[in-house]
Amino acid sequence: MKIALQIHKIIISIFMLTLLALLYVNQQTLVYQIGLNLKENNKIYSELLDHNRILVYNVLNLKSPVNLEAKLLAKEVELSMPHKWQVVKRDNSPAKFVHKDETKRGFFANLFIMGREAEASPNINNGFSLKRH
Amino acid sequence: MHKLITPRSRKILYFLLVLFAFLAARLFCVQLGAAKPLSKLASGQYDTYMCLLPKRGVIYDRNLKEFAVSINLNSVFVDPLIVEDKESAVRELSRILKIDKDKILERVQQKKRFVWLARKISPDLEKAIRSVNIEGVGLVKEPHRVYPNGTLASHIIGFVGVDEQGLEGIELTFDKFLKGTVGWRYSIRDAKKREVPGYKYREIPPADGNDVILTIDNVVQAIAERELNSSFEKFNAKGGSIIVMDPYTGDILALANRPTYDPNNISEFPVETRRNRAVSDFFEPGSSFKIVTASGVIEEGLFSVEDEFFCENGEFKWGRHTYHDHKPHGWLSFRDVIKYSSNIGTMKAALILGENRLYRYMRRFGFGKKTGIDLPGEVDGIVRSPAEWSNLSLCSISMGQELGVTALQLACAVSSLANGGYYIRPRIIDRIQDSTGQMVRRFESKRLHRVVSERNAEKLREILRGVVEEGTGKLAEVEGYFPAGKTGTAQKVEANKTYSHRKFTSSFIGFLPYDKPRFTVVVIMDEPSPSYYGGTVCAPIFKKVATQLMRYYKIEPRS
Repeated sequence: MKIALQIHKIIISIFMLTLLALLYVNQQTLVYQIGLNLKENNKIYSELLDHNRILVYNVLNLKSPVNLEAKLLAKEVELSMPHKWQVVKRDNSPAKFVHKDETKRGFFANLFIMGREAEASPNINNGFSLKRH
Repeated sequence: MHKLITPRSRKILYFLLVLFAFLAARLFCVQLGAAKPLSKLASGQYDTYMCLLPKRGVIYDRNLKEFAVSINLNSVFVDPLIVEDKESAVRELSRILKIDKDKILERVQQKKRFVWLARKISPDLEKAIRSVNIEGVGLVKEPHRVYPNGTLASHIIGFVGVDEQGLEGIELTFDKFLKGTVGWRYSIRDAKKREVPGYKYREIPPADGNDVILTIDNVVQAIAERELNSSFEKFNAKGGSIIVMDPYTGDILALANRPTYDPNNISEFPVETRRNRAVSDFFEPGSSFKIVTASGVIEEGLFSVEDEFFCENGEFKWGRHTYHDHKPHGWLSFRDVIKYSSNIGTMKAALILGENRLYRYMRRFGFGKKTGIDLPGEVDGIVRSPAEWSNLSLCSISMGQELGVTALQLACAVSSLANGGYYIRPRIIDRIQDSTGQMVRRFESKRLHRVVSERNAEKLREILRGVVEEGTGKLAEVEGYFPAGKTGTAQKVEANKTYSHRKFTSSFIGFLPYDKPRFTVVVIMDEPSPSYYGGTVCAPIFKKVATQLMRYYKIEPRS
């Protein structure tokens, strides 16, 4: 009886160990599989990035002054700067062309808002001015 | 208990014990005896070290418009030992890649595990290769340098070789900043040669190359190249250069050469087109060089600009040589000597100045030495010391003969007058920054030394204004912007060491506006024909470039 019990215990132990080992192997296989999937996704992502770079290059190529000029030349389009007498400057623009500042807040809104927000000055250096010593 | 262990069971038990002992002995032998060679064999099969290539830095213009970028393209390789049906593979590959069948067959028959078939193919070809799915043929990504603007600024940007190493221009000079640092990765691969992620994984990521920001403005460059191109074709010239410079900071806004090449297709252009003539070619400047003689004379206070010289009615004998003016003149003020570019008047002024002082001013203006610009292939030019001069050298040199100068040296010289008398080092690089935008190195503009005083620089600017207003440079006039400058027409030396009557180097060096210059523009044409005078060939080019410059920078004309 005692021996039978011991044999049972041994068999159950072996069974449990085997089960644990199988679970461990399964887990490792899953980890490996997920890792491979991640790698595959990274590869797709990398290829999409490469494709994006090629598209960016194509856009740059199309935008380049040399290509634009060649296209205009091919279509026999002649461009020239307007003469002074061709440019009309309006002093008073009609109301519909005046940009309304949508971001201005009312009196009550200002009461409940802490602090001020910085506003950019409209007179921004356009970057074309030259530096002098 | 004894009933359980029967003789039969005992036999099975003994058998299992013997088997176990055998396995234990074998394990003992393998683990202790053959551990090292077997580990090495396993390591060779499973370990993989991969080189991680960095991304080469971008070259930008001053407004951060890309001049040179890198993309990844696939290259085709074959493992000849895996390819089974070689004939069919060769046929398909030849059709897709448009390479001769015999060449592909030769590569497929090699006894190697890796043979290139085609490097850096287009995405369309890559798609076609993938679609045929030939066993043993694979694709590997490689970085590829591309230049979206084609021929624009090609002599400045340069190009790279097949392994992305800089070979010319900025790509060469700043290769160590642009190329970045290679990284590596160690990992395990399975039986299908796939990397096992996350298992015994070690990596040092690559450091991408730094970006280089030039002082060039791609729009100004396009303007210069367009005008140079049309005149180069119109005058059937052998070569030409245009330089646009900021005289105060030394920033090169444009540097154009003809003939030119497309760095995207190097092999289709002859080698001589790759030469950056503006810094690598020297020539006799002719009358443009008179600004040096004039500067020396005025700075030394030898006489005033209103003092008169007799120009011998166009013919003057000095020693055994007779000098001519292109138009006969009588008495001319020194101002008019420069205005009408009288060789005889200039010679006489130089004779008063003397050899040593003229030589000193030549060196002060930067002739005879490199400007130090960050471009490869720059030459010193030829400026001999007075000890090597003949009896006629003083007269010849004062008129711009018997010496060799580059277009860039001329640009720096005339900028010295434009900016109030300082020689300033030309600048083509503004800064280097990393891929996140952090500054790595800044290149400041550098004022090197004073050439002439501010007052005399002003006088010289007025004299040069007269050249355009009433002198030989009338075709350079830009209404409302008051340019100033000097024309030059120099005979080239033939093979028999005599001056040619058919081959000339034409030039116009100038700046505008004359009183507060914003830009220096230098135009050089090599062997233009049929017209060859600086005033008729180069001055109109200066006018076109200067007009467009003023419009681009939105500078209003003055009445």
